[in-house]
Amino acid sequence: MSTLKLEKVSRWYGNVVAVNDVSFEVGAGITGLLGPNGAGKTTLLHMMAGFLAPSAGRVQLDETPTWRHAEVYRAIGFVPEREAVYPFLTARQFVTASARLQDMENAGAAASRAIEMVELGEAADRAIGGYSKGMRQRAKVAAALVHDPKVLILDEPFNGMDPRQRLHMMDLLRGMAADGRTILFSSHILEEVERLSDRVLVIVAGRLAASGDFRKIRRLMTDRPHRFTLRSSDNRRLARELMAGSEVDAVELRDGVLTVHTGAYGALTRAVAPAAQRANVSILEMRPADESLESVFSYLVHR
Amino acid sequence: MTVALVSITLRALLNRRRTLLLALLGALLVVVAVIYRLGNPTAAESVEVTRRLLANFGIGVLLPLVAVIVGTSALGSELDDGTIVYLLAKPVARWRIVLVKLVVAWLVTCVLVAPAIVIAGVIGQEDPQLAIGYAVASILGALEYTAMFMALSLLTSRALIIGLAYVVVWEGVVAGLFSGTRAVSVRQHALAVAESFGGAGAGDAGLAFGFAVAAGAAVTMAAIALAIRRLETVELRGETT
Repeated sequence: MSTLKLEKVSRWYGNVVAVNDVSFEVGAGITGLLGPNGAGKTTLLHMMAGFLAPSAGRVQLDETPTWRHAEVYRAIGFVPEREAVYPFLTARQFVTASARLQDMENAGAAASRAIEMVELGEAADRAIGGYSKGMRQRAKVAAALVHDPKVLILDEPFNGMDPRQRLHMMDLLRGMAADGRTILFSSHILEEVERLSDRVLVIVAGRLAASGDFRKIRRLMTDRPHRFTLRSSDNRRLARELMAGSEVDAVELRDGVLTVHTGAYGALTRAVAPAAQRANVSILEMRPADESLESVFSYLVHR
Repeated sequence: MTVALVSITLRALLNRRRTLLLALLGALLVVVAVIYRLGNPTAAESVEVTRRLLANFGIGVLLPLVAVIVGTSALGSELDDGTIVYLLAKPVARWRIVLVKLVVAWLVTCVLVAPAIVIAGVIGQEDPQLAIGYAVASILGALEYTAMFMALSLLTSRALIIGLAYVVVWEGVVAGLFSGTRAVSVRQHALAVAESFGGAGAGDAGLAFGFAVAAGAAVTMAAIALAIRRLETVELRGETT
């Protein structure tokens, strides 16, 4: 297992601060780096991948600084956001060249394996210049994982992919994470991060606004109103019982779904089951209505 | 890994249409020599005219034009479009990337220039030594030029324009007006080599051979060192920053 570690990292361009005093560690599993465009995600990823020197602080992969240490690339695979790939090469040539530059013994076989993994088989012998965005993206991913790196860093990997390709790429990354690899990807799309990551790092205006499991992040924000949706054998009775307690601010009955508004996350979750028991109602389903990164994110941005 | 580096660089250079145009420029040098010879000039006159053709067109135009385009794009085009990231994200020492690319750029330049000079030289007059002298000069000049232009492409994204300005203004005009500036002109270094290898007909370039070789070697080494240093510390930013 490999760990990427950032300690008090800042990066400025002239007098513009792109990344401001950020510290975190990324270990095995999938970590999503989330933030609006221009928040400093690419700057952070480039520092982690050793393409940018931190202006202050340290960026290390297992105790080796990533900046100016080319040997870290034996352990790192990097998929840049920029679309440009040598247009005159076929995907097979491009991936094979990547394997050769990694000093791999059997570059051709490794390239075939990587191309297979990203499902680029049929198009692999056509020049990349004629590829769609999604195919190009897959060629880039194949080149990044051809040497089976312990750490995979992807900058906006789902850009330009259709839904099917997106699902496939997510499965691929999940599989690699299950093998104990460290995977870090950036995105400005909440749904992607939510569906894929075990852990989220939220970057807003160059600062680390939050990190951890996003559901836990959410739970920490107890001063923030939450909504739950419930389905039960008798929504009306359950609503009456819940309104009697102090945990609930409001209830809403619509289309057979009971929506509960609360300012006390923990207290409500503890109150629901006893209330249902008192009302003699069976709960069929209970789920947070706004447990999406969108709401976490807009809350963090406007805090 | 060197093979992969050579193949990517070579394909990138040869896939460009302008490389074909440069080959046509070399062919033009040969065509001019053929047309001149068809006019049946005297032996003494043909040596002088061919010398001027090789010096002014071969070394003065063809060589720097090919070298500036090949030298600035061998590494510079990848820096421009961001594909350099696929080389930098590999456990390959940066000095190796610079040296391999320089050698490829140098050889491509030689292939596009030296044969044209030899053929034009042999067609234009009788003495093969003159042609060989200018070809040797173009090969050494190509190394100095491509090293210089590759370093330039790591310093600025306007390397092609600045390189052309150097060739046209500095070497073409200033070095003609003030003979002292010839010491720092690649063309003059090359011409001194041509004079030394080209036999009696090669004329007087105005720089001593030993000095020209030493100055050329110094410029080449400095350019290589600068290019390596730049590539070791080059920073890649995102598209938006």
